[in-house]
This record gives sequence, structure tokens and C-alpha cells, in this order.
Amino acid sequence: MRKIISLILLGIVCVGIIFALYSIPFGKDKIKVGKHYIYNGIKETGAVNIVTSVVLNYRGFDTLGEVTILFIAALGLGVVLYGKKKKRKEGLEPASLVLYTGCRFLFPLILLFGAYIFIHGHLTPGGGFQGGAIIASGFLLSYLGCPRKWISKERFNITESLGGLVFVIMGLIGLTIGGYFLSNFLPKGIANTLFSAGIIPILYCAVGFKVGAELAGIIYNMIE
Amino acid sequence: MLSPVLLIAIPLGFSFLAPLLKKGAKYIPPIAMLFNLILSILLVPQVMRKPIIVLLGGGWPPPFCINLVASPLGILLALLISLVGFLVSIYAIAYIKEGATEKYHTLYLLLLTGATGIVLTGDIFNLFVFFEILCISSYALVAYNGDKHGLESAVKYLIQGSIGSSFILIGIALLYGLFGTLNMADIANNISYHSLQSPTLYVALAFFITGFGVEGAIFPLNAWLPDAHSSAPSTISAILSGIAIKTGVYAIARVTYTLFSAKGFMIFIATIGIITLLIGEMSALGQKKDIKRMLAYSSIGQIGLIIFAFGIATYYGIFGALFQLVNHALAKSLLFLASGYMIYRVGSKELSAFEGLGKKMPLSSLVFTIGAFSLIGLPPFAGFMSKISIISAGIKANNTALFVFVIIVLFATIIEGCYFFRVVQNLYFKKSRDPAHNCVRDGCPTTQKSEMPISALIPIIILALLIVAIGIYPRLVTGIIESAAIGLMDKVGYIHQILGIF
Amino acid sequence: MNFLSNNIYYIGCFGLIFIGLYIVLTKKNLIKVIIGINFIDTGVNLFLITIGYIRGGTAPIFSRPGLNPERMVDPIPQALVLTTIVIGVSVLALALSLAIRLYHHYGTLNLRKIRELKW
Repeated sequence: MRKIISLILLGIVCVGIIFALYSIPFGKDKIKVGKHYIYNGIKETGAVNIVTSVVLNYRGFDTLGEVTILFIAALGLGVVLYGKKKKRKEGLEPASLVLYTGCRFLFPLILLFGAYIFIHGHLTPGGGFQGGAIIASGFLLSYLGCPRKWISKERFNITESLGGLVFVIMGLIGLTIGGYFLSNFLPKGIANTLFSAGIIPILYCAVGFKVGAELAGIIYNMIE
Repeated sequence: MLSPVLLIAIPLGFSFLAPLLKKGAKYIPPIAMLFNLILSILLVPQVMRKPIIVLLGGGWPPPFCINLVASPLGILLALLISLVGFLVSIYAIAYIKEGATEKYHTLYLLLLTGATGIVLTGDIFNLFVFFEILCISSYALVAYNGDKHGLESAVKYLIQGSIGSSFILIGIALLYGLFGTLNMADIANNISYHSLQSPTLYVALAFFITGFGVEGAIFPLNAWLPDAHSSAPSTISAILSGIAIKTGVYAIARVTYTLFSAKGFMIFIATIGIITLLIGEMSALGQKKDIKRMLAYSSIGQIGLIIFAFGIATYYGIFGALFQLVNHALAKSLLFLASGYMIYRVGSKELSAFEGLGKKMPLSSLVFTIGAFSLIGLPPFAGFMSKISIISAGIKANNTALFVFVIIVLFATIIEGCYFFRVVQNLYFKKSRDPAHNCVRDGCPTTQKSEMPISALIPIIILALLIVAIGIYPRLVTGIIESAAIGLMDKVGYIHQILGIF
Repeated sequence: MNFLSNNIYYIGCFGLIFIGLYIVLTKKNLIKVIIGINFIDTGVNLFLITIGYIRGGTAPIFSRPGLNPERMVDPIPQALVLTTIVIGVSVLALALSLAIRLYHHYGTLNLRKIRELKW
């Protein structure tokens, strides 16, 4: 009975979707705003990667919201899992020598790679979120491979807060200097070099640290 | 230098700061909300003359970057959010004692920031992002108590809410595919001037109303609300009922009026509103056990009333809807806050446990009665003015269907009166039972007076005074509500203000 | 055949969305429902990307001179998808933590049994 009703509901939605997609043919050329960004992006923001210039400059406010959402998820996890019994830690078996050494060897390399991704976010594909996710995967590896060397959650919390504060403060400085919240008040530099695009690399570093700390904190909470 | 963007940026900055402060975190939400309150009061005169358009990012002309619109409607709601948020956060300092308290206060502040962002933004995707901020923090806060009921209702809320969000996103994607822009004024401009009559628009509108309807708790989508409101901590129930569902209603109004200007669609909105009203009030009448659940059902009913008033689609209808929205936010948060400590004292949510409480907690009972009377719409209180304006708007609209609906509204008012008088009767006109009979926690019911702590008492008294003040002197708020209603009706003006600033 | 090759992406993403909705509406296990929500998220993300795609498009990065801007895909949906992926991850993390706690309380993840409150 439940299945039939849900199939009928889905059928109604499906008919609607088919009608809706009729006037959006696949592969339609980009219009208006997207076109503007492609043609004026480098001139206006100095970032070669147009997606980055959209994420951090044209729609920087969305990204602030996005960072906030991840922050909420980390906090919410803390609220929901509060007061759960913490006895798992002793029960963990030490990892084998190969795994242990491998983790210790790979961990700094993963962190370095993550940092590379978010520092070069305005030049190559990638950016703060991707880099942060890579860093968090390094922490996941160390949790699984070397359970005795867990990093305390306090430091994650502090990094999280500082990353968020840097973002907001950069926005407020932009408001006072440039007149617009999150405006690009630093010189744009020469396109396609590391030190270009004004505040975008700084913001992406803040986002990278914050996302890395948040995802690692979420993993920590889940494992604990 | 008084930019409306500070209304969002400052609370966000404070909430990032809060985890660093540990024990001091509980003072962060009142400070940030007090700042917002002062700032939005200062912005009111400026906004009444001319809406402020704030560009964000690089400061390029509107379709090319996100912009905030501090219209009278936005500032009115921001003022309401910061006022209720400020009072509830003061109440929460004493009320929230157990659990991860500093996380509670941070999440609470973020919830309010999300609500403020929703009412101020002028970009449809930005609206979605703030909507998610609001929703995700409320999922976590509903589960704050960590008991069975809280977790269960949070899961319910999360499943329905996230499907709703996905629907909103599909709507946004359809609009983007059609017009290649995300700015609300630009989309509205495209829809109205190019008079594009494509079925895509109707489907997108349906997706938007379904998606926002989950948060706004309109009729078929409100299964989460009674559970979530009744099992959350009372402060969170107050904010969810007072602020969160209002933002859903605001989003529906914004989408239907500004984005699509769906005039023919409005009678459908009014019908949904009436059905929601009837279902909510009937369920509240049937709810004899749990007082918070009763208040939650009453919230559904009131939301139905507000949506009905929006569906009248005249200036008077919108005026009544906004007025009712303000009054309901004040009265319902007052009721949840007052019932919070009452439940704590008697140790039970059951209505019968409240018998004779009028002697033990005289002030709380008094303000509870004021809130209840205001919601019913009795004369000296604020609810009377708004309800009468909705009813007169419905009659003025000169439409047979709307006239029938107005009669249903009057009938629903009687139902509302029944269940609120039942509580008031329990409070004042029944002798309290044997104390040991309903004592669950140790040391709760005693025969002597046991009022709330002073920091919890002040906010609810302020709320009660505001309700009485608005009831006696409605000009206190009607000025800004009038210009907000005019602003919501004036779609062409909205488009011109935003797209024509360069 | 032409219809299929023109709309294969649309069919794919809405297929994911409908599978997800069906799972959420019919399945009893909370974990399965969460997986269904994730399906919907993925489908919507794919839909957003599909809307901004053009045939034979390249990434919108001017990494070397001489790239044709005409061929570049729309950057906005990509930026939006970045946001929605993060939102999806957050909801998923929260949902899973709720599931963990619910399991502690009830000892089951069957949604038909977890119903102390009225639906």
C-alpha cells in the first residue's frame, strides 16, 4: 500500500519534471551571468580559476554561509553525541608495524598535499574545501593506523574558530577599505602567479584550515 | 558606516568566537542580539525613506554579485528576530544548565543569524544557504536534551527538512537553467517582462512551495512540527515557533509575490492556509495531555491563518498577515517560555498538573494568560488588532470563497478560545491536587510560592508588556508594517530599486 | 536513440533523485533512509552540473594562454555544487550521529519500532 502511494506521488513529480525540462534543453549555452564571469573574471578578480573567483569573490557570501554550515555540523555532532560513554579508547588494538610505519610516513605527505591544493586554489582545480577534505583524510588515516597518537579535540576547535574569524574579519576589513563586505582590497598582482588575486588565497587558506579541522573533528567525534 | 550586512556579519563573527570563550559563551548570544536590535532600530528611519541595497563581494552591479535588500519588510523581520532572540537568550542563561551548554549557545546564535540572512538577502541561492543554516542548527538543537523523544523528533525533522531543501534546490536549478541568473530581482524581471509562460515556471513554483512549506509547516508537510516543538528545550520551542517557521512563511510570500507574482495562484495559497488552520486548531483542541504539544498545534493553526491572509492578495491582506506574524511571534514565544519553567516546577507536561498553579507562580500564570488571550484575539491585547484586520481584509476582498473562509476563521477562533480557556481554567480555578501525586523530580512541587529565577522572569514580562502595548497603541508597529506591506506588493518597484541602481 | 543520447544526463540525475525518494518513502531502516537522502543530494548536484554543461566543454580555468572562452562551461553551477556538497555532508554527519544515539536508546534502527511519538 505504502509502495503504491509513493509510486503515484513519484509519478506526479516525474510528469512535472518532464514538462519542466522541455524548455531547458541539454547543453544549452551559458547565458548572462556565467558568460559575464568567464569574460571579465580575470580582469575583475585576478584569479585564473574562474570557479574560485565565483566562489570567493562574486559569491563570497555564500561561501561564508557554507563554512558556517560545516561549523554547525561539527557543533551539532558535539551536542548530539554529548555524554556518550567513552570507553572505546582502551579497547583498541595496536596496529601492526607495517600499518603503523606506513601511516606515520604518509601522514605529513597528505597534509602537505592538502596544503598545496588549497594554496593553489586560484590557479588550479581545487581549493579550500578540497584541500581541507584531503587534510581530514590524513587525520582519519592516523586515527585508524596509530590510535595512540590522537590529537586533542581542543586544537581542532581553536583552528575552526580562528579560520572562521579570519574570514569574517577579512570581510569587515573589505567593508571599511573597499566599501563592500568581502571586497578584494589587496592588489590583484599578475594573473597566473602564486601571489595574485588579492585576498582570495588568504581566504582559501582560512577555509582550508577550517574545513580540515572541522572534518577531522567530525571524524574524531564519530570514532570516539 | 551602518551597513545592514553587519546584522549578519557580527553575529557570525561572535559565533565563531564563542567556542574560544568556554564558560563565557552563554553571554555571547545576548550581546550579539542586543547589537542587532540596536542596529536594526537605528536603520528603521533610513529604510522607511528608501530601501538600502547592499552589494557584497566586489561591488559589481546586482545580477553579477550577491546583494542584500534592507527593505522595510526585511528590517521589520530582522527587528523581530533580534528582539525575540535577545529576550529568549537572556531566558536561556538560567534555563540551560545541562549538556554541552557552550555549543547550545553558539548553535542558537547561528540559528538566529540564518533567520536574519533569509529575510535580508536578495539572491535566491543565498537564501537557500541561510535556510540551510537555520535548518541544520535547528535539527541539532531539537535533539539537545538527548532523550528518546528529542532524538526521534530530530530524525523526523531532519528527513523531512532535507527532502524539502533538495526540492528548493531543484527549483533554483530550473530557474537558473531558464534565465542564467540567481538574483531574485533579475529573475522576477525576466518572468514579468518577457512574459514567459513556460510550464517550467509552474513546476519550479511547486517545488519552491513544497520545499519552503516543510519549514513553514503548511498542511500536508507539518508532521514534524508537533514532535519537534514539544520535545525540544522550551527556549528552542519558543524560537522555532516564534522565528523559524515564520521564515518559511516569509520565503513562500517572497517567492509567490516577488519572484513569480502568481496572482491566479493566490486562492490556492489561501485554501492551503485555511486547511492548515482547521487541522492545527482541531488537533490542539484534541490534545489534552501535553501542553507543549498543544501549543505546537496552535502554532500550526496560526501559521495557517497567516498564510491565508497572504493568500487574500490585497494590501489589507498582507498588512493583516504581517501584523499577525509579529503578534504570533511575540505571543507564542511568551507562551513557550512561560510554560518552560512551569513544566520544570511541576515536573510534568500534563495539563492536569497545572491545576492551581496560579497561586504558586502568580506572575508566570499572569503572563501565560496574557499570551493566550492575545492569541485568541481578545480586545485589549495585540492579537485582537491583527485578527480583526485579517477578517476585514477577507470581507473587503469581495470574493465568495474568501468570505466563506473568513467564517471558518471565526469558527477556528472559537476552537482556539476553548483550548486556551481550558488551560487558564486549570491555572486559576482549580484547586491544586495532592503535591505528591504528580511529583516526578525531587524537590519540585511545594505549597509555597516558587517563581522563576529573575533573569527568566524579565524577558517574559517584557514580552507581555509589548503585547499589551501593541494592543493598546497599535501605531507602535503599524507604520513599518504598512510600508512593508506596500513594499511586498510593489514588485516593479523592487526590481527597479535593485537593477536600476547603476 | 537520439532522444536518449540527448537526455542521458537528465535521465541519470532524476533517476538518482527518484530512487532516493522511493527509498525514503518506503524503507524502514533508518540507515537506508539516510542513504536515500544522500542519493537525492547526489542527484540534485548532478542536475546542477548538467544545467551548466555544454557539449565538448572545458574547465573554466585560464591556466595557459590561447584557451577558447566559448568552449568553457558555466562556472556558477560548479560553485553552487561546491556549496551543496558541503551541505549534504553536514546533513549526513548529523543524521548519522542521530542514528548512533537512537540506536543507543532503542537498540534498533527500524523506524516502525521507533515511534513513541505519534507520526
